[in-house]
Parts: sequence; C-alpha cells; structure tokens
Amino acid sequence: MPNTLLSTLLLPALTIPLVYILGKKSPKAAAALIAMMCICDAALLSTTVPVIINGKGHIYVESYQWVPALRSSFTLFIDGISFLMAIVTLILMLAAAIFSIDYMHEKKGLAEYYALLTLLSIGLVGVFLTSNLLLFYFCWELMLLPAYFIIGGWGYREPYRAAFKFFIFTHAGAVFVLLGIGAIFMVTGDLDMFHARSALMMANPELVKWILISLTAGFAVKMAAVPVHMWLPDAHSEAPAPMSALLSGVIISAGAYAILRISLGTVFPAVMATDFASQFLHGLTIFGIMSAFFGSLIALVETDIKRIIAYSSIAHMGYVLFGLSLFPFQEATIGTVLHLVNHAVSKGLLFLTAGAVMKRLEIRDVREMGGLAGQMSTTAVSSTIAALSIAGVPPFACFMSEFLIFVGAFRTVKIDGFYTIPVAVMLIATVFSLAYSLRFLSHVFFGASKHDKVADVPLLMKLSMVFLAVLVVAFGVWPSLLIQFINVTFV
Amino acid sequence: MFPYAPWLVWLLPIISSLFIPLVSRLSNKARNCFALTVSLIALIFALSMIPDVYHLDAAESYELCVPWIPWVNISAGVYLDSLSILLACLVTFFGFIITLYSLGYMAGEEGLTRYYFFILLFIGSMTGLVLSDNFFQLFIFWEMVGLCSYSLVSFWYKKPESVRAGMKVFLMTRIGDVFLLAGICLLYVNLGSYSFHYIADNIRQVPLPVLTAAAFLMLGGAVAKSAQLPLHTWLYSAMEAPTSVSALLHSATMVKAGVYLIARLLLVFGFSATLIPMWLPSILWIGTITAFIAATLALSTPDIKGVAAYSTISQIGFMFAALGTAYDAPSTGWFAGVLHLVSHAFFQGLDFLLIGGIVHAVKTRDMRLMGGLRRDMPVTFGLSLIVLLSRAGIPPVISFFSKELAISSVLSSGNIIAASILYLSTALTFAYALRVLILVYLREKTEHVKQIHVHEASKIMLLSAAVLAALCVITGMFGEAISGIMHFHAEMGLSEVFSSSTLILLMVLTISGSAVYLTYYKKPALLEILHGTPIGRILERGYYFDALYGVAAKGFLALSNGIRAVENRFFSQTPQFLANCVIILAHKIREYVDVLAEEMLYVVTNKTLTSASKLKRLPSNTINHYIAAALIGFVIILLLIIVTMWMTGWAV
Repeated sequence: MPNTLLSTLLLPALTIPLVYILGKKSPKAAAALIAMMCICDAALLSTTVPVIINGKGHIYVESYQWVPALRSSFTLFIDGISFLMAIVTLILMLAAAIFSIDYMHEKKGLAEYYALLTLLSIGLVGVFLTSNLLLFYFCWELMLLPAYFIIGGWGYREPYRAAFKFFIFTHAGAVFVLLGIGAIFMVTGDLDMFHARSALMMANPELVKWILISLTAGFAVKMAAVPVHMWLPDAHSEAPAPMSALLSGVIISAGAYAILRISLGTVFPAVMATDFASQFLHGLTIFGIMSAFFGSLIALVETDIKRIIAYSSIAHMGYVLFGLSLFPFQEATIGTVLHLVNHAVSKGLLFLTAGAVMKRLEIRDVREMGGLAGQMSTTAVSSTIAALSIAGVPPFACFMSEFLIFVGAFRTVKIDGFYTIPVAVMLIATVFSLAYSLRFLSHVFFGASKHDKVADVPLLMKLSMVFLAVLVVAFGVWPSLLIQFINVTFV
Repeated sequence: MFPYAPWLVWLLPIISSLFIPLVSRLSNKARNCFALTVSLIALIFALSMIPDVYHLDAAESYELCVPWIPWVNISAGVYLDSLSILLACLVTFFGFIITLYSLGYMAGEEGLTRYYFFILLFIGSMTGLVLSDNFFQLFIFWEMVGLCSYSLVSFWYKKPESVRAGMKVFLMTRIGDVFLLAGICLLYVNLGSYSFHYIADNIRQVPLPVLTAAAFLMLGGAVAKSAQLPLHTWLYSAMEAPTSVSALLHSATMVKAGVYLIARLLLVFGFSATLIPMWLPSILWIGTITAFIAATLALSTPDIKGVAAYSTISQIGFMFAALGTAYDAPSTGWFAGVLHLVSHAFFQGLDFLLIGGIVHAVKTRDMRLMGGLRRDMPVTFGLSLIVLLSRAGIPPVISFFSKELAISSVLSSGNIIAASILYLSTALTFAYALRVLILVYLREKTEHVKQIHVHEASKIMLLSAAVLAALCVITGMFGEAISGIMHFHAEMGLSEVFSSSTLILLMVLTISGSAVYLTYYKKPALLEILHGTPIGRILERGYYFDALYGVAAKGFLALSNGIRAVENRFFSQTPQFLANCVIILAHKIREYVDVLAEEMLYVVTNKTLTSASKLKRLPSNTINHYIAAALIGFVIILLLIIVTMWMTGWAV
C-alpha cells in the first residue's frame, strides 16, 4: 500500500473526534474504539513487515511536501527498530485502554481522557516513524502535552504539581533537543536524519561535538537518567495506572530510541574518528551505571508501591544507557533495543498490576499490604511474572535482553579496559534488581493477609494484564520473534 | 533410546506443567495423577537413553542442536554423554519418587496446583540443565531451577519466615549466578560460541588469563549453587520448604548443579584445566573446608532438618574435594565426585523423606523434644539405620565406595593435610549421624512425645522411602553398573577395598562412634558441655556467616536509605529551589522592570490620550491605557514586519 505509514498516523487522528463524541455518551465504547484503532493500526504497520525483513537494508520511506521554506518534507520511514517501538506502543496503548474501562470508570471527564490518550498515541507512533527532525520535534512535544494533561487531570494526590514538574523538566530537555536540531539545520541545511548524517561528516567536529552533547542531554531528560530523573518518580507515581504504564513503557523509551537514532545514528558518526567519541561513550556508561545503581538502591527501600516501580524504571533506563554506550557491538545494540521492548511490556504490566492493587486496597504503602496472592490470584501471577522479568530471571522477557547487553559489554571490555568496573557494577546491580523485585512481591502479595475480603479486579482489567503477561513469557521464550526485526537494521 | 527422548525428557515436564492449572479444574485427583504420570514418563525417557551411552567411550558424546536465536549465535541443543545421562536419570528418578511421596506428604495442603506446577517445571528445568549442550542454555535452566527453588521454599507464602527464606535462597544463589554469567560471557567473547563441544575443541585458543578468570568466575557460580563456603547459609534457610521439596531440590538434585558444573567444566577444559593456576586446588580446599565446617555445624544444631542441610553441605564438600583432585577428566577423583553425588542423592533423599514423616508425627523440628520414636515408628527407624550406614560410609551401601574413592583420590594426590581433614570430617559425620539416631529414636521418650500421639508415616511415604533405601543397598552391590555407565573401570567389590585408606576410614569411624556412644547415649549431661562456652556460641551462630551477611545487607540498606535521603532532600528539592529562584526573579523583574515599563507606557499613552481626550473626555483609567498600548504595539509590529519584508526584498 503506498500510504501505509501516513495512514498509521492519520488513523488515530481521525479517531480522536469519534472517541470524544462517543466518550460523551459511553466511555466504554470510546475505550473499545481505541482498542480497535490500536489493532487496525498495528495491522497496517504489519503490512510493512515483508519489506522490513526481506528488504536487505532497504528502508521503507514515504515522503510528502510539507514546509518547503525549511527544506523539510513530511518524511516517514520504517525499519526494524521503528517497527518494534511503534508496535510495542500500540500494544501498551491497547492494554491501557482496556484496563482503563474499569479502572477509570468512576472518574469524570472520560471523553477527554480517552481523546487525550488517542492524541498521545499519534505523538508516540510519530516519534518512532519520522525521519525528519522537525517533524520529530513536533511529535516529541505532542507526546508531552497529552501526558501532561492526563497526569494533571486524572492523577492522584497533587497531580498538577507532578504534571507541572514533568512538563517543565521534559520541556527544558526539549529546548536542548531543539537547539541541537537547529544547529544541525544550520550546519547541514537539511533536516532529514539520514541525509544529515553524511552532511555532518563534513562539518567542524568541534561544533558537532556540542550538537551531540546538547541533543543527548535533551533526550536523557526524557529518559530520566540520573541526575535529571527528578520528574520521573513523581510523574509515574501520581499518574493513573494506565498512564504510568505508557509513561514508563514507551515515553521514556522514546528518549532512549532518540539517543540511538539521532545522537548515535545521525550525529555520532561525524565524531567517530576523534578522541571525543570514546569520551562520549564513557560518559554514557557513567550515567548509565549511576542510574542503574541509584535506581535499584532506592527501589530497595522505597515504600510507596508505585514509586518502587518508578525507581526501577530509572534503573532499567540505566541498563539501556549502558547498552547504548557499547554502541559499536552488534549484540549490545540488539540487546538494548530488545530491552526497550521487553522492559516496556514488563514494566507496563507491573504498573497495571500495581494499579489493580491500588484500585482494590486504596492504599499505597507496601508495608500495609500483604497476602494478596490468595485473594487476587490473577493479579498476583501477572505481577510475579512482571517483577521476575524486571529482575532478569529467565524464561521471562528482560533476561534475554540483559544477557545480550552483558555479552556486548564483555566484548567491549576486551577492547577497552575502561569498561571493566562498569560491567562489574552492572552485574552487582542485577542482584539488587532481584532484591527489590522480590521485596515488592513479598510485601504486596505474600506474607500474612492484612485485608479481608479483597476481591480480584474485574474481567477486563484481568484480560489486559494476562495479555501483557503472555507477551512477557512469549518474548522470553522466543526472542527471535523480536530479534529478527532488529538484526535486519544492521545487516 | 525412544525417538526424541533427549528433547522430550525435559520438554515434556515443562510443557505439562502449564497444563497443571487446567487439569486441576477437573479434580484434584486428576491433577495428582497427571503430575505422577508425567514424571513417570520423563523417567522412562531418561532410562531409555542409557543403552545409547553404555557403548560409547568416555570422551564421546552425542550432540543434537537446533538454531534458536541464530542472529546472536545461540542454539538450543542436548548433549548426551555418560555424565549428562546419568544425572538426567537421577533427576527424573527423584522427580518421580518425590511426586509419589508428595501424594501422601502434601495431602490436604492448600495451593497444591502451584506445588505440582513448580515440581514439574523443576523436573523439566533440572533435566534440561544437565542435558544442555551449551553454556547459555545451561544458564537459563540454572536460573529457572533457582526460580523453582524460590517458589517452592516460599510455598507457604502466608508464613513470613518462608517468604523471607525464599528471598534469601534466591538472592544468595543469584550472587553466584552473576559470577557464572560473567564467566560464560568471558568465554563466549573469546571463542564466539557457547557450545561445550566447540569450546572443548578450541579451548587452547583462549589466553590463559582469560581462561583463569572465566574458570574462577564459574567456580563462584558453582560454589553458590552448591552451598559451599562462604555462600552456604542459604541451604539452611531453604529448610523452610516442605520436606518433599527439600528432598528433591535441596539434597538430591538442585544443589548438585554446582557439582555437575564443575564436572562438566573439567570435561570441557580437558587438559587446560590443569594449566589454570590454583583452580583445582581451590576446588579441593573449598570442598575440604566446607566438609569440615558443615560437619561441625551438623553436630551442634538441634534442628533435625538443619542436620540434614548441613550434612548435605558437608557431603557436597566431599564431592568438591574429590573433583579438585581430577587432573584428568576420567580420573579417580572425577569419578569419585560424580559417584558420591549419586550415592549422596540416594541416602540424603531417603533421610529427608523420613524426616518428613517424623516432623508430621511429632510436629516439631527440634530434636531435643523428640525421643524414643523407634517404638512408634518402627519402619522409619529401620530405614533410618540405612541412612546411618550411608552417611558414615559403612559397607555394603554405595556411599561407602564413593566416600572411600573420594578420600583415597585426595590421599593419592599427595595432599595429606586435606586428606586428614576429610578423615576428621568423616569421623564427625559418623558422630552426627549417630547423634541423630540416639536423640530421635534410641533414647527415652521426652515429655513432648508422651503428650502427643505419634503415628507411623503413611504407606505411600514409606513406600517411596523404601525404594530409596533399597537403592542405597542394591547399588552398593552393583556399583559396577554405574561405573560401567561412566566408563570408569573401578573394581568395586568388597575384596578390593581393604586398602590402607579403608583401614584408616574404619578406624576413624570406630573411634568417633564410640565417642558419641559414650556422650550422647551413656551420659547425656555431657551434651551441655559446650553450651555457653565461646565454641558453643560460635557453632550456634553458624560461625557468624549469617551475621556477616546481615551486616553486609544492613550496610546496603543503610546506603540505600542514605541515597534515598539525598534523593528526597536534594534531588526533589532542587527543582523546587530552582522554581523558587525563578519566581523570586520574576517578582523582582515585576517590581523594577515591569513597574518601569508601566510608567513608560503611562507616559507614552498619556500623551496620546491627552490628545484624544481633547476630542472626547474619557476617564483615564488603566484599562484604557492597556488597550491603547496594545494597539500601539500592534501597529509597531506591523510596521516592523513590513520593514523587514521590504528589506529582504519581498523575497518570501
């Protein structure tokens, strides 16, 4: 089909008014419509699979006239990585929409909520599908705005405070991104990330260096790397559970995707030959291990159910940053992209289960929970699968990606001795990640029962959790399903 | 071999485990039968593979593999040699026996669907572990048996102790797993393959420092998994599990994964193993010291499952010590380690099965409260005599041969000190075995036992125990068969074993046996002699290993709390602080700049307004000022736009 990629963006755009009108009458129907939209969108995207897999490095591109003044065209492309990220976004959106039906049903203004959710999906899918930097920035901000309103409007405790913090931080990051994009345009006169790559090779490396730093800093804020992670614990824990799942699953992954695609893909080759290249990668490593270590340790002592998971997201973005810093090795990059997908699904599931627990108990302190395994068995099983995946225990999804990252890391150690200590620290961090996962499970689901007569959540919430849990196991047992896409990108 | 047996033997239990929840919907009985049938089929598959290796040479192996994740060089496969098939048979056999035993032992418990799910998953994973043809697959199963162990130790998830014990078990073994992972990665990045076969063929290409690092890292993994010093304390905590689980995972199979790994590494490394500096001696000494330390702990603990746990640790120490002398893979030490693994599985499994019945009957694990059970539980008592013989290593049971071989291999390697420590440990082993017998069965009934009605264990439990007891004895008579499978041509008749080392062994046993007889049986008051002394306290606290780890854990928690405090004080406050700064700045700007601007506006607009007010007198209030200012501003912007467009030559 000639306009597949454009249609994947237009479909949600056209759904928004329908969702809004339908949501006024029946929020349930609106959620169902979003679910339908996600399935159709995923089906549309899947029509490109033969091109991706058999294309032998050929990338599927669609280009439309847009802003001739900036020599920008509305360019959409898809390769294995984009495909996976877009699909995982749609998967999580589907689960979040179905989960929301029962989770949000007492809340007011659900028409707006669902419309914003749909808008969010345009931004997210757009970020992964565009190769034009201006359009990328558009989608980047389009991702931020609906998230801001959803956290603020439907969150817990002091939602607007958390939403404001989220907005200010990521927007400050976006300023750096814009600065970098502007500089790329100034230097190369082209806003296409693939054209800019070769054009930047001619540019002054000193300037490119600063472009790289500025862009990466901006993306790192979205990724919530320590020390610019401050927005994440508040935003993740105050947001409604489906939004937390999306935030932690795909929005922060978008930061990592952008580093991989733009910082490392477009800009980095221009400084590859200089001394700065290894300094930059070492810098990423250090921020990576800092995030992994700090995140894991804080998750180990945090008592708020959603903040535990939020800090674990910081830790896992640390793994991803670490994996990105091993950029030149195939295993590491495959592992990193795989980890983005696996982490998105696992963490999305973990947030949904936490939401289910909070829905039933209406408390947040894990020390006051306990013994829910008998009462909420589906939630408990899903949560155990998610938590063990997060801890990197086979046969669940995240193990495979962490393993590949470590293989890449050991390869790098062979060449660059600098990595010896970071690898050791990351290995220790995996023990901590098991520790906080087990602590989470034992506080929430095991031990003496502290609450009588807790019923399990309604069917649709169970359904969305089981859906993700099945994916976590499937991705763990059959990683080739995902790796076949990633690998093609590097052939 | 049945067609596809090497695959089905582990795939079948794993896949069947997924059906347990479905079958349990039918009825509980159907679920139990299903689990039993699956474990029996797995056993039959495993046994059917024996003829295939019987005629192979020791070093030969079948290897079947299929690509799994070809892009990163990972394949799935099975590796059939005498070692892997012997262990596969052992694991599936125990899986079957324990499933049978569980029918009686676990009857009436809640959550049996979960129990049988994990038992089947465990049988499949453990069999997969020993049959893996590459390190990656081995690691996956290695972790999966850890996962099963965690779930089964915390089986009674409502009891806080068992949840805590499960966490401890999983976390401590995870430390070892991290070492193993690092070792595997190191080998992989140097050779580009995980396959045993490939690595064995190309091991000489690995630089010695890398090989050394990898070997020691993997040893770390084995030490943690097999509960050797200093990472042994988890095994005692694992005793919170149902006793059937302790028998299957924590004595017969899972804890032996480390021994299997070392035995496998010796095969894979081949001659290169001897080149690695200090590697084999480290294995030997870790095993020797563990054997001794754990034996002293087993002698002092009052917990009947504790004795079994420490005994397991101690006996695995013997296996390590034997493997540590194996300078050549099919040597006496190697064979002794593997044979002791098998024989220990039999008698320790038997011991746990008996303990299960005892703990059911007397409702405590404290041996000080037991006594005189020989009358109430005669069958259990009779079977426990076989445990006694096996532990001590008295003919004709199989463990006599294995222990004798293990010690004599250490002795013949010339390491007299290690050998004498092992003899000492053997003496202690006999001592604690006798002590258990005396405390539980032989002495007079205690008040506690008198108050309760003690009953013999159920028939199905005794049946499965009896099978193990029979195997302890029968394999002792037919030890040749096992050595045949292993292609080790040891002469294992009674006539062959009266060498000098055997005489030492028997002498040691007599001395320690009479010492125990004198203290525990004749003068129970002597029991208290260590109590309260420093040595007694040290033994009570298990040489302070747990205290040490407690300190380490507390240290990490304190660090985490510290970081969290920094996080809350500094990182959370920083945005607040920055925002406040911006607001203060804004206020200042408003105070000075804005007021100034307003004044200027006022001046400018006032001029306009005065002229306007001449036409029509309007009250000069602020709103009008702003409207006027806005209009003026708009005009200025318009003018600016026109000017710039003019200057750029109307280009756009």
